Amino acid sequence: MLTRRTVLTVMGALGVIVAAPPIAFAQSAGAAPAFVKQTADQLVEIVNGPGTPQEKRPRLLKVIDSAVDVEGIARFCLGAFWQRATPEQQREYIELFHDVLLNNITGKLGDYRGVAFTMGRTTPRGETDAVNTLVTRPNAQPANVDWIVSNAASNPKVVDVVAEGTSLRLTQRSDYASYLHRNNNSVAALIEAMRHQVASFGSG
Amino acid sequence: MPSIARLLFASLVVSALAGCATPPPADDPEAVAEFNETNDPLEPTNRVFYKVNEAIDTYALKPAAQAYRFVTPQSVRDGIHNVLVNLTTPVLLTNDIAQGKPRRAGDTTMRFLINTTVGVAGIFDVASDWGYPAHDTDFGVTLALWGVPAGPFLFLPVLGPSDPRDAVGFGVNIAMDPFTWVGQGEIVTALNWSRFVVSALDARERVLDTVDQIKKTALDPYATFRSLYRQHREAQIEETRNDNRTTIPVWFPQAAAAAGTPENP
Repeated sequence: MLTRRTVLTVMGALGVIVAAPPIAFAQSAGAAPAFVKQTADQLVEIVNGPGTPQEKRPRLLKVIDSAVDVEGIARFCLGAFWQRATPEQQREYIELFHDVLLNNITGKLGDYRGVAFTMGRTTPRGETDAVNTLVTRPNAQPANVDWIVSNAASNPKVVDVVAEGTSLRLTQRSDYASYLHRNNNSVAALIEAMRHQVASFGSG
Repeated sequence: MPSIARLLFASLVVSALAGCATPPPADDPEAVAEFNETNDPLEPTNRVFYKVNEAIDTYALKPAAQAYRFVTPQSVRDGIHNVLVNLTTPVLLTNDIAQGKPRRAGDTTMRFLINTTVGVAGIFDVASDWGYPAHDTDFGVTLALWGVPAGPFLFLPVLGPSDPRDAVGFGVNIAMDPFTWVGQGEIVTALNWSRFVVSALDARERVLDTVDQIKKTALDPYATFRSLYRQHREAQIEETRNDNRTTIPVWFPQAAAAAGTPENP
């Protein structure tokens, strides 16, 4: 059963995986909210600014690459299968994961026009900090979004986004785990499906 | 809606009798851990019901919700949603009390009083602006706070993702609703069914874009919905559990100070 404790344990475990130095954590309290605010400001500016989603894509890419630990999230989402994958598969998987993540965000841009956010409190969660924001947009209920930030003092990175209690990372991981389970635990099949997903983006 | 409850019970029986997922071999601890965490021993049956629901949704519910969106402006839909929420007051209040959350029960009562009068029969949610925020709860959450475990994942016909605790909660919620029992005759029945239909349209319309997005981006939408449902329920339960606001009003500072409560910011 997926209890809150499990979620926390898993998140704590990821903190170890991405090897956040414990010293950084001690000084992180002030750094995490500032980092989240800066990142969210950049995202809001892109989302609400002029241009088509395709024109905004390169700018989004820049923000995502500098602020989000895409590789760490990708590895987490593959779970135990990361170790079973060949180095070639690992490389290809991370590349595809990167594209899928960016496509998912680009695909939602239209819905988020007029988005705004207010900063909430920051709570330490093991090796990471959870920075709460309240995201408001026209014609929608305000949503609680937690940004899980690792390494806040030295090299802060977003390692997860939790929207209304649902973790992006855990949801993606269970999607991949189930797909693998139903396809003979073949990482090659998963990569093929992701490739297909990236290729068909924008056509449907 | 007693027919829904009957359908629910029938589906539970069917689920129990139908096939079970095969656990992985014990010599693969990672696979076993994954299997236990997923906690979906009825997965094959659940997936059948998922497909049934997909068909119902594709051919009936989703087009109806799209039509509803097409013919009504956002402001009208918001008003209808607010009225529907206001009508759930008796169920909300009973659960707030059963959960031992006096502040939430107070919010629910004040919301009903304000929105039914100033908010014109519940069309406008004035109470939220006046400091009585909305919250959603049901008997599934109450059972969780009473310590009842969720049990294995269930995908129920028509109702969608659930678990034994939430399925029971759903039934009790209906039983708690005075509209289930009040009155007799054709008009009352017609009104109850209208409310049920409009509630379904409202609920589906509000998640049109989200569901489309999930189906487009997930490799295994069933597993993704399963995960999202569990996480969302868990978050909702924790939020309720941690809502321990005092019942001393802010305009009564002395008592608040005497009780050692920090002043509201």
